[in-house]
Amino acid sequence: MPSAKQDPYQHITDQELLERYYTDRNNEWLGALLSRYTLLLLGVCMKYLRQEEEARDSVQQIFVKVITELPKYRVEYFKSWIYTIARNHCLMKLRDQHGHPATLSETMLAAWDEEGGKGRHVEKDQQLALMEQSLEELGKEQRLCVTLFYLEKRSYQDIAASTGFTLMQVKSHIQNGKRNLKLIMERKAGEKSRLS
Amino acid sequence: MNKNLLDILSNSNKDIDNQQLMDYLSGQLSAEQRHDVERSMADSEFLNDAVEGLQRITDKKDLQAYVEELNAGMQKNLQKKKQRRLKRHLKEEPWSYLAVILVILLCIIAYIVVRRLLLAYH
Repeated sequence: MPSAKQDPYQHITDQELLERYYTDRNNEWLGALLSRYTLLLLGVCMKYLRQEEEARDSVQQIFVKVITELPKYRVEYFKSWIYTIARNHCLMKLRDQHGHPATLSETMLAAWDEEGGKGRHVEKDQQLALMEQSLEELGKEQRLCVTLFYLEKRSYQDIAASTGFTLMQVKSHIQNGKRNLKLIMERKAGEKSRLS
Repeated sequence: MNKNLLDILSNSNKDIDNQQLMDYLSGQLSAEQRHDVERSMADSEFLNDAVEGLQRITDKKDLQAYVEELNAGMQKNLQKKKQRRLKRHLKEEPWSYLAVILVILLCIIAYIVVRRLLLAYH
């Protein structure tokens, strides 16, 4: 079984490592912070570039970029920032290879609307009722996958096996289902507040 | 009314560490642990992309070697940057370094002179 090396700074959060780095500019903090993301970055590069060699080179290039850019700005959310750097790097690489601009797919943009639905404050019971109604409005496939995943706590594999969807379809039904559910709920909450 | 319904909207606050991720990829987790990782994936595009990419690497044993190699390269880059910074400091502020060297030299000369004077006196 492959095992990951233990992080000696496990007890320190990303935020704190970043603060320490900005305070004394000691690269030890930056090294510790970056090594937490090596595996994730390798995964992201593999997803977009699909070649192990190229993905590894890209991770090194992303590290160099981060080491050069980080001292220049005050980064608040390191995780989102480094993900954006990595994704842009891969998209630029793809664009250079294929000679046309890569388009951001809907799912790539999804990460940015996470905060969208949080502003609205609805009472818990009201929210539950709204959720039940909204769930009914979801498409059949999305409703099925969302219910099995969140309510029955089944794994992707289980859901794929019992519904006959592929793993990718299951994931996409869950992600799109969740996003649509938020939109439907926001619409319903908006309608309700206009009526009252 | 199913209270779990609200779980759909709440984001998973669990941070998935590298070991958990490795275990997930090599199918070592229990159903419950697997579900935890997948919940985090559904909430985080970063983690989701990473898992999809890592699943493309067929030999999972290579993963740890790749990570160690990449970390070693990153540490080397950080060292290089530190050395470059020191060189830049020397270039930008030569007078302050020269002043420090002069003070040290003066101290050594003063020490030698005082010592000789004392010897001559005795």
